[in-house]
Amino acid sequence: MLLKADPSHRLPLLIPCSTGYTLENKTGSWRFFRPRYVQKTAPCRASCPAGEDLARIQTLVSRGLVKKAWEQLVLENPFPAVCGRVCFHPCEKACNRGRLDEAVAVHALERGIGDAALDVQRFPAPAPAKSARRVAIVGAGPAGLAAAYFLSRLGHRCEIFESRAQPGGLLRWGIPAYRLPPAVVEKEIGRIARLGVAIHCRTAVDEALFQKLVSSHDACLVACGYNRPIALNIAGGHYARDGLQFLEDLRGGKRPSFNGPAAVIGGGNTAIDVARGLVRCGAKPILVYRRTLADMPAFAPEITMALEEGVKLMELAAPLAIEKTGAGAAPAAQYILKLQKMEVSDRPIGGRARVIPAKGRQESLRVQQVFAAIGAAAHGIAQAPAAAGDGLVLSHCQFRVREKPLVFIGDPATPVKSVAHAIGSGKQAALALDTLFRKGYTKIEDELAACQIGPGPALSMAAYQGIEAPPARRVVAFEELNCAYFESAARAALPRLGAGLRRTRFAEIEAGLSGDALQAEARRCFACGTCNACDNCRLFCPEMAVVAEKGTRRIDYDYCKGCGICVAECPRSAMTMEEEPR
Amino acid sequence: MKQVHEGSHAVSEAVRLARVQVISAYPITPQTHIVEALSDYCADGRLDARFLCVESEHSAMAAAIGASLGGVRAFTATSSHGLAYMHELLHWAAGSRLPIVMAEVNRALGPGWNIWTDQTDSLSQRDTGWIQLYCEDGQDALDTTLMAFGLAEMLNLPVMVVLDAFFLSHTYEPVDVPDQDSVDRLLPPFAPRFRLDCEHAFNFGQMVPPARYMEMRYNLQLAMQAAEAGFAQLAAKFEELFGRRPQAVEALACADAQIVLVTSGTVTSTCRQVVRDLRRNGEKVGLLKIGMFRPFPADSVRRHLSRAAKVAVVDRNFSFGAGGIFAQEVRAALCNRQGHAPVFSYVAGLGGRDITPRTLMEIYDQTRRTATPPDESIWIGLDAEQVKTWRN
Repeated sequence: MLLKADPSHRLPLLIPCSTGYTLENKTGSWRFFRPRYVQKTAPCRASCPAGEDLARIQTLVSRGLVKKAWEQLVLENPFPAVCGRVCFHPCEKACNRGRLDEAVAVHALERGIGDAALDVQRFPAPAPAKSARRVAIVGAGPAGLAAAYFLSRLGHRCEIFESRAQPGGLLRWGIPAYRLPPAVVEKEIGRIARLGVAIHCRTAVDEALFQKLVSSHDACLVACGYNRPIALNIAGGHYARDGLQFLEDLRGGKRPSFNGPAAVIGGGNTAIDVARGLVRCGAKPILVYRRTLADMPAFAPEITMALEEGVKLMELAAPLAIEKTGAGAAPAAQYILKLQKMEVSDRPIGGRARVIPAKGRQESLRVQQVFAAIGAAAHGIAQAPAAAGDGLVLSHCQFRVREKPLVFIGDPATPVKSVAHAIGSGKQAALALDTLFRKGYTKIEDELAACQIGPGPALSMAAYQGIEAPPARRVVAFEELNCAYFESAARAALPRLGAGLRRTRFAEIEAGLSGDALQAEARRCFACGTCNACDNCRLFCPEMAVVAEKGTRRIDYDYCKGCGICVAECPRSAMTMEEEPR
Repeated sequence: MKQVHEGSHAVSEAVRLARVQVISAYPITPQTHIVEALSDYCADGRLDARFLCVESEHSAMAAAIGASLGGVRAFTATSSHGLAYMHELLHWAAGSRLPIVMAEVNRALGPGWNIWTDQTDSLSQRDTGWIQLYCEDGQDALDTTLMAFGLAEMLNLPVMVVLDAFFLSHTYEPVDVPDQDSVDRLLPPFAPRFRLDCEHAFNFGQMVPPARYMEMRYNLQLAMQAAEAGFAQLAAKFEELFGRRPQAVEALACADAQIVLVTSGTVTSTCRQVVRDLRRNGEKVGLLKIGMFRPFPADSVRRHLSRAAKVAVVDRNFSFGAGGIFAQEVRAALCNRQGHAPVFSYVAGLGGRDITPRTLMEIYDQTRRTATPPDESIWIGLDAEQVKTWRN
């Protein structure tokens, strides 16, 4: 208390004033609820088959720490530069930012991070091996390479056996160079090899070699993707050329010359790639698809770019027969493709429109060549066993354990056939196999559940290794964010070659982001459920009970009254109110 | 120098001349013109002050409290619901003994939604520890605002300068605007007796236990008790500088008056005319203008009313379940004096309804004709037709 007499009018002044600290008043005792920093799972991460911790990665990029972001990213996925280009990015569909303006351009960020580190020769040091087991992997596609990567980081010695001349599988021979330049694939595979993974190319695994591998290794992974084309089962179907083979020829440097119309049958990414490859070889491709554009399984941006490049689309047309024209026909019209026109029935089937033949409507196309791209399957030993009682069937891999564990991964074992799912498959198999080696077969499901991200099935390698806490099951919903703190900002678009230039070359179409542009896009990330030390909690705390410590924030419960303002003002739902334990 | 200003701008001019350092405000009709002009002054450099646009009146007062505790001269202005929203912090400002000056434009409280004048908003804040000064016209508004800063800093009490909506806030009149040098002599730079100072750290406004709280309240009351004398002292200096003498209570022809009309605010000007007219007709009538409502200048009121046979208080406000608020205060001031005059309580002009000379004449006549005042306040000018319809 202060009593002051002022000489000018000698009125005593008594005010509540002391030299004591408010620190003496421990307001924490008033609390009934307590705020807590709780790491929650962002919807992007929950939807990423590889389980990348994008909130943390983008927080790092937003601060210009691209190298650190890369180190964080490769904890979960050894192929950032590849995935930045070819993944269909389910994370962007899940992105909460999409509800404010537009989803964060995760593909651009992932590619930017991957490209920035493209010349880094080695991954951050793997965990030291204690009791290394020997694992044989059949197939050097993304699933096999990912499995080798994760197993190596867990201390196991991996050997990959690949029938082709170079590793990479579909990345190498299935995806055109204009989407994925070979150098990118080589550099990211090179790092895996440098972990000590022996990759034996030109080594087709037949039954005999397979038996040998089984006996000489502690476990065997079968990672053969869908690389055997499904044949076109119509009259004259043998006249159709295989789309996958055509793509492989292009990647091998062959440049067949066309000058007339070419029909490509199918509506998936392979069909689109074949059509776009044909454009570049001088053909006038026509995509023939039995359903409508809206039902095409190919990724929408790829379809758009194909149409821009001059690919024609014939919807609602199913092939009936292919006939060879007579000897006198022009070279640009060697085949007649007979088509049954389809129509959309008013009864949909499984979310897609049902199509039925349109009575009496048949057409034919005169073309130089017909390509079939209607899907692919695995072959030989790659066929996963039927989900029978003798094995463990997980979401992205299947175990058969007799004398030695045998694991099927990649396309035959995954629900979605994509690069990201193949990587997720390799990771799941690696973690399961490591658990099997260390704790036994029966512990696999529990161990994997402990590092499951959100509702699954993606797994966190970082959590498995104890680098991060077990990921939260709770996924942050848009409604849990405080969007008052997010300003609208336009989504980054990658610079792209014009359609005219694209038609004549196989050069990569899109350029990446780097520097300020990369950082700006990363700043658009809400970092849902991850504290990025934005300091709203500290600024708004009426008791100054939030303490800043080395990039993190801590609550001083001696003074926190439990008012909950910090939780309400946290933009990214990285905090939770809980009832005070009594 | 005489200039034509609306009442709001007479206040703005005084605030500018007082060299206020922080203005925090939130707009509300009919107050907005005051801070609008001040924001212009801040923008064009005529006033070297920080103008804070805040998100509410509660924050406006909070910011003024912070500024004042920081040791600078602070001002805000509000009205009606804005003032009601500030209520909590009015107590805080007074309890902290901060010499904040606030202009408050009387506006009726809703519902019914009404932007016109009515004193109930400011009178609802009578127990917050703020000095309240009511203004009659533009000149009074300017002079009272200048006085307010001097009085506030002398007593370490916040002061509310109260203006009628529109009749004063939006009415243009010639106003004598003093020169800066003279005002500087009246109001030297604010020399706080305490302030937030990192070099000499104190903790302000902390918990005060029962053993000390009462003494603190009593200390505040001592300052209130000194306010009328302080006002007079300052008014003397004011008169020296400007040739006008502001008055907390002004008595007009009260010395021999049988009936004294008691008014506040703009009604006073109308009443001056009515008293002149009645005197011309030989009626022994007087006028007592109450400028200072808090602290209530009971001594002066008693002195001026000591010879009256009847007192008629005109209230443009109402305390539900009690009566006109000025009338209550006058009665309370007189009640312990033997043989004091009966006090008639009249309620008129609520929600901006005109109080014309005829209204005041009716009040005078009714007082003259009635021997004893009724227990309840008398509502003047009620529309009988309207009242009849809801009686059925």
